[in-house]
Amino acid sequence: MNTQNDANISVDNLSVRYPGSDEYVLDGASVEIDAGEFVAVIGKNGSGKTTLCKSFNGLIPHFYDGSFGGRVTVGGIDTADATVSQLSEHVGYVFQEFDNQLVSPTVSDEVAFGPINHGHDDYRERAARALSLLNLDGIEDRFLWELSGGQKHLVALAAVLTLEPAILVVDEPAAQLDPVHAGETYDHLAALNHEQGMTIVTIEHQTEYIAEYCDSVVLVEDGRVAWKAPVEEALNRLEALRRNDIQPPQITRTAAEMGETDEQLPVGFDEGVRWFRNVLDSTTPNASPLTGADAGENLPARNDNSTPLIRFSSVSHTYPTLRGEDKQVLDALDLKVYSGDRVALVGSNGAGKSTILKLLTGLKTPAEGTVLINNTATATTLPERIADDVVYVPQNPESMFVKDSIRADIAHYLQSRDQEDVAARTDDVISFLDLEALEDRDGRLLSVGQQRRASLAIGVATAPSIILLDEPTGSLDLASRTEIGRTLSRAGERVEAVIMATHDLELAAEWANRILVLDDGKIHMDGPPKTVFAATDVLAEANLEPPQVVRLSKELGCTPVALSTDELVSHLSSERPTASTGASHQ
Amino acid sequence: MTALDSLRDIASVDAITTDLLRTAYDNDGSFLHRLDPRVLLLWYVVFLFVPWMFYEMDVLLALLVFVSVLAVLSRVSVYLLAIMAFSVVTSLTSYAIVTAFTGDPIAAMKALLPFTLKVTIISISSLAVFSSMSPKTLARGLLSLGVPRQFTFVIAYGYRMLPVLFQEYHELVNALRLRSAVPDSPGRFRWRYYRYLLRLSMKAFYPMIFNVAKRSRVTVEAMEARGFSNSLDSDASRELQLEGMEIRPGDGVFFCGSLIYVAIVASVL
Repeated sequence: MNTQNDANISVDNLSVRYPGSDEYVLDGASVEIDAGEFVAVIGKNGSGKTTLCKSFNGLIPHFYDGSFGGRVTVGGIDTADATVSQLSEHVGYVFQEFDNQLVSPTVSDEVAFGPINHGHDDYRERAARALSLLNLDGIEDRFLWELSGGQKHLVALAAVLTLEPAILVVDEPAAQLDPVHAGETYDHLAALNHEQGMTIVTIEHQTEYIAEYCDSVVLVEDGRVAWKAPVEEALNRLEALRRNDIQPPQITRTAAEMGETDEQLPVGFDEGVRWFRNVLDSTTPNASPLTGADAGENLPARNDNSTPLIRFSSVSHTYPTLRGEDKQVLDALDLKVYSGDRVALVGSNGAGKSTILKLLTGLKTPAEGTVLINNTATATTLPERIADDVVYVPQNPESMFVKDSIRADIAHYLQSRDQEDVAARTDDVISFLDLEALEDRDGRLLSVGQQRRASLAIGVATAPSIILLDEPTGSLDLASRTEIGRTLSRAGERVEAVIMATHDLELAAEWANRILVLDDGKIHMDGPPKTVFAATDVLAEANLEPPQVVRLSKELGCTPVALSTDELVSHLSSERPTASTGASHQ
Repeated sequence: MTALDSLRDIASVDAITTDLLRTAYDNDGSFLHRLDPRVLLLWYVVFLFVPWMFYEMDVLLALLVFVSVLAVLSRVSVYLLAIMAFSVVTSLTSYAIVTAFTGDPIAAMKALLPFTLKVTIISISSLAVFSSMSPKTLARGLLSLGVPRQFTFVIAYGYRMLPVLFQEYHELVNALRLRSAVPDSPGRFRWRYYRYLLRLSMKAFYPMIFNVAKRSRVTVEAMEARGFSNSLDSDASRELQLEGMEIRPGDGVFFCGSLIYVAIVASVL
């Protein structure tokens, strides 16, 4: 439906400098994107990826002050000569903060907003088409604030599709969504790309999705487009990816560490399984299934008579909805957490993860059952008193910033409790977490990665014995994720237990010593990572997919499953009679 | 811990939010909802003046009954009614207290009762009218009467932002609570504790304003990326926005019926 030249993007020597900054975010960026391509834009946090993409629909330069240079042409239109409103029928844009993109109360109003603005009298048909394209039929009359995050994202996408753009830009679809919904969104994007020939550009840092769905990759580095390459080639440039804090797919990393070949490494999962089978077959003819030497691991040793730190006894919890029905989130849940536990709560959106954390803060009290922390019921204790021992770092770090500087935010807890040496202790936390450069900045104005780090610092400053983290790695690149891991390990001696709700199963595999699989308000499995990740059927039922390295080790018949690339590599190498030594690969 | 429980119930942001949203959006079952917004607005303007034309208590009471029936049919929010009842009672009480020093409080209250009644009639009719129109209907009504789209959009959008604001505010209050210390002794009637909560709820406003400002940046960009400014001076777009609005016989019946009721009441009583 789109003619060829309607859907290409040409960026020529684009430079952008925001007001109040001396540095150019983009400095001579040039790239060509052809009609019908599915492109991923990658780069460090803050490298200018979003700035580049906002130039496609004219938001840059029309909506920003500052200095601009160069030329952007979209489907033959010079964006400098067209208004954003005119360009909106050529380029659709789904923002990273898609929640703020939705302006109407109901789904049907939202998807009709664009076509009505443009005076298309077939707006009802357009809306119906867009909704059915994304399998959203039947939710037309729902209120937007009642929808799940995944549904909201799809509605934001549908609302853009009603203008029938030839080009679609989606900023970080996987960052705010759980893996199941992110996968769904990508499936829809792929269908739009294949069936309608729509040009699709996503900003993405999760290379597993890039490998699965995209045709080519654009790397933004130092204000320029360093290169644009086909996806297999791009994801094989491991050094460039690492330099830009982008984690290559686990399968590619494992293959690289096997040090087998200088050929192109696999980037997709199925391709990877074939590659590994091939490599193993060639070295061990008629290879028997690999079996591990170690017998897996157990939950951390504990005395059954010891008192649990945290105890949920048949806890049920519900939320009211606008239409008067209550939604059940937890269903007669029992749980004990002991000193030394590092618990990862995994499950899809709405499985009850955040509710468990909020019940532990005392801000919510269970509708039925009891929650005990150190043998004290949360229902009869003020949240302020519970906070003496428990700290909660919410999913949205911005809601922790109540002062106008990071330093004041860190000191707030100590000051309110009239503790001694507030200044000195604040200094400690700041230098401990390398926040000196940011201490006087307003938390709201930091990058997502910095915000995350600052919110952890605010939490750690309370010297807690129990830490609750809600999605601490959402939309973070590799460097920021590593940093979070380091912060947790430095959190202080008082820490007895950490509970983390996360979609990031790779992080859960590497960090946790106990994994709880939640689905429909119930615990479906509770055990050490290896046991839980080996139970693929339970995970699939809870809409979860284990990390690639776990799936790969299962495919290769490796028991117990490996949880990290290192583990799998050493396992595979030790099993091979002719282990290649030191054959290095970049 | 009943004191604690009741406090949590009062402060149940969820309950208040749900109720207000129901008032704003869930008006399919309301009687006035079926009327054309322009007729309803005109009716409202008329009823802003009607109470001031009468002095007889009987007539005013009859008008109060009339608008109250409309309010019930429009399923006005209990919270809003409670706030209004509270303000009527307290203002009357305050007259009584003030006049107790200057003379006869009963006589003063009697003298002020008609005035208070008139204000109450107008307040209740406002509640009835505005609760039965969804923000979108109101915006369409105003737009068709010539109010610029920029303004009517803000009405519809402002309402849509309400739950977001509530949630944002709620999160900030909670964040503050988790990092503040409660007074060691709550004092008589827990007044220190309530003072602490009051302070905290004021402190949470400041960061909320900043967070909202940051959000609206994205909103403005996103609106424009779907052609908002095109709708401001496009006739085709304006037509679509006003599509389906028509004044039906029922509108006329309601409007004239109200005036006839007023006339009958005025002549009979």
